Amino acid sequence: MIAAMPDYQAAVDDFVTRLRRRQVEGSLITAKLTAELLRQVVSHQRLPNVGQAAVLIDVVKSVGLRMIAANPIAIAAANRSALRAPSLHNLLESIPDPVKTPEAPAASVGDSDSKSRSGDRNSVSWKLKHNVIEGITELLQDLDDYHTHVAEQALEHIHQNEVILTLGRSRSLLKFLLEAKKKRSFQVVVAEGAPRYQGHTLAKELAEKGLQTTVITDSAVFAMISRVNMVIIGAHAVMANGGVLAPVGMHMVALAARRHAVPFVVLAGVHKLCPQYPHKPYTLLNDMKSPAEVVEFGELSECFAAGTGDHTTYVVNPTFDYIPPDLVSIFITDTGGHNPSYVYRLIAEYYSPEDYFLQ
Amino acid sequence: MYRSSSLRYESSHRDFSLRGESDEDYLDISLEDDRGWCKPSPGFEVSGSKRGFCHPFHEDRKKVLQERRDSTPNSVTFEWLRQAESASLYAGLKDHTISVSHSVRSWGREVVREKPFNVIHEFDSWRKSPDLAEAVAAIKALTAVIKRSEATTMMGLEVELKNASDTLKESDESSISLSAGCDLFMRYVTRTSAIEYEDIEAGKARLIERGEKFGEISQKARRTIAKLGKDFIADGITILTHGYSRVVLALLKLAASEGKDFNVICTEGRPDNTGAEMAKELVPAGIPVTLVLDSGVAYVMETVDMVLMGAEGVVESGGIISMLGTYQTALVAYSLKKPVYVAAESYKFARLFPLDQRDMSPAPRHVDFLVPLPQVVNVENSARDYTPPQYLTLIFSDLGVLTPSAVSDELIQLYL
Repeated sequence: MIAAMPDYQAAVDDFVTRLRRRQVEGSLITAKLTAELLRQVVSHQRLPNVGQAAVLIDVVKSVGLRMIAANPIAIAAANRSALRAPSLHNLLESIPDPVKTPEAPAASVGDSDSKSRSGDRNSVSWKLKHNVIEGITELLQDLDDYHTHVAEQALEHIHQNEVILTLGRSRSLLKFLLEAKKKRSFQVVVAEGAPRYQGHTLAKELAEKGLQTTVITDSAVFAMISRVNMVIIGAHAVMANGGVLAPVGMHMVALAARRHAVPFVVLAGVHKLCPQYPHKPYTLLNDMKSPAEVVEFGELSECFAAGTGDHTTYVVNPTFDYIPPDLVSIFITDTGGHNPSYVYRLIAEYYSPEDYFLQ
Repeated sequence: MYRSSSLRYESSHRDFSLRGESDEDYLDISLEDDRGWCKPSPGFEVSGSKRGFCHPFHEDRKKVLQERRDSTPNSVTFEWLRQAESASLYAGLKDHTISVSHSVRSWGREVVREKPFNVIHEFDSWRKSPDLAEAVAAIKALTAVIKRSEATTMMGLEVELKNASDTLKESDESSISLSAGCDLFMRYVTRTSAIEYEDIEAGKARLIERGEKFGEISQKARRTIAKLGKDFIADGITILTHGYSRVVLALLKLAASEGKDFNVICTEGRPDNTGAEMAKELVPAGIPVTLVLDSGVAYVMETVDMVLMGAEGVVESGGIISMLGTYQTALVAYSLKKPVYVAAESYKFARLFPLDQRDMSPAPRHVDFLVPLPQVVNVENSARDYTPPQYLTLIFSDLGVLTPSAVSDELIQLYL
């Protein structure tokens, strides 16, 4: 592994620190910043004459591992898509290499060893880097555009006089609804999404645009669900089995929707796909935030035994909820609508098998 | 005489039904003989003098059992182990007549063969090694065919291989991993021969090299699966398993060796006593084991955190064909919302699509009910069942962790 060059080392360090302090939040922002950082890394990396692909991949991996260590959850999805070497791998494979050894037909059973990624490539150094940087730029553009692509499909899913339910706030959902509003009239019920109450912000934004909005508490979701035609939410990440990481409270909404046979639609850009399978999703893939958001710091002081400081009360403030794939009806990605059982295919398209585990 | 020959078997002979002394045994044995006599399995003749012994109920049972072919029980590897043993036993016994109702085949002493080299013999000798899976043994046997082949063109070689592969498959029509392994190798051969080799020897060398590499795959696959699956085992959980699967064992042992703290419930697994076998393997690894009757699966399911099973074959729909009782366990787990994980190597992926339980090649076996039964009682003695994909959560294979819906994609890549 070639040591990272000092020019961008500072930038990497800075980003890693911000990730650790949770100053960077939101999958889109994380993905964009990661991609930009990687672009910097790649362009500054000096490559030897042979084995360039391996060097590049190593560098990207080492940077990636640091980022993942800093904030596994945000990185689980957003970062990986930026780190994804399929853009790297595909580019590398498309580079003509006269020295390439004849490959056995791709029976994955035996040939995964002989995959060409470690093959030496006698291509010009700058061309390789150029292609990779181009790939990353394309990725950045996709990230910018993905809201539009997802929103384009709104008219297929939202119909006249429907009632849509959602919880909290999602930017892609906002654009989705506004796009549909252009041609249909419908209502939106927004659950506030304690403890951050971002549902209030969403409700305001929708109301400003003239959509009829109702704000309800999270506990009222089950009561309202029978009057609702569809639930639409934005995901933070989509795992390889089709499970969804969404802001806390979503699992409850999904269960209520399943109970009343209401379609549960998840908006997820392709950059939210994560090739990992959730082993212990409710705990491992979660981020515990400060309990002060739930209960003010002074309020529970009497619950702590004086003198010994023993706890009798715990305040838990998880950020994410895991929704199993059988509760989701459809994923709307920038490439179209897909079944949860189809997610493995999307992952296979955008990731190559070596990317699944960075270690 | 049948009884005496059973005594000749080692005590490790795991054929429990033989040990039973019920009339049922004698019944079936003589029938086996008769049946074998009148309906030899294709490619084989039952080497055997007809026994003088003839049970009075024979006439009636004959009709019932006639449809059931010479049994090749195909419960998972465990049965396989027994067959491997019997293969080595038979090697020296010339006049030994079959008798064993599940001891499958007389290993080709009177088999009609054009070539002096017998692919079945080769297959057997590979199968004697207990760690080698059936499919891999088949591939090694086919590799040996290539080595001994005198063909001068690739096409000729292909034809020879095809014949050998067909023979192997016919020798055991109910084994899925065997035919999957043969198919995979044949697929590879036909694809490779599309590549121009100037020299038949070079082509053969390549195929032989590939065939031999396959042998390593068996071990390697299990390690890969163990590494992939162990993350799903957390501390303090209870795992339910059914059947005896070397892959599942490898997974559990690896997780235990990493210090994970979990316990395992094994189903008894009648009539092969797979539960006891599993327990024997798990205890030295320091894993607490509980045994439960097959009928107790629903009873314990509420205490179970996940179900982990092996498979004999993974079919196109993403479902699995596995030891009898797997479907049941999966159904119970599904209704109690427990995840069901399957560990299966990639060479078990087969081009089959069963639509219901009867839609597979039958794999009957002798079941000892321990009490004499009236002759009009039918016995449903399939060795395996089909679990549809909607009851499975994930499949651990050396191709990676797959959702059942991803299996058909992988199959396409493997076979095309």
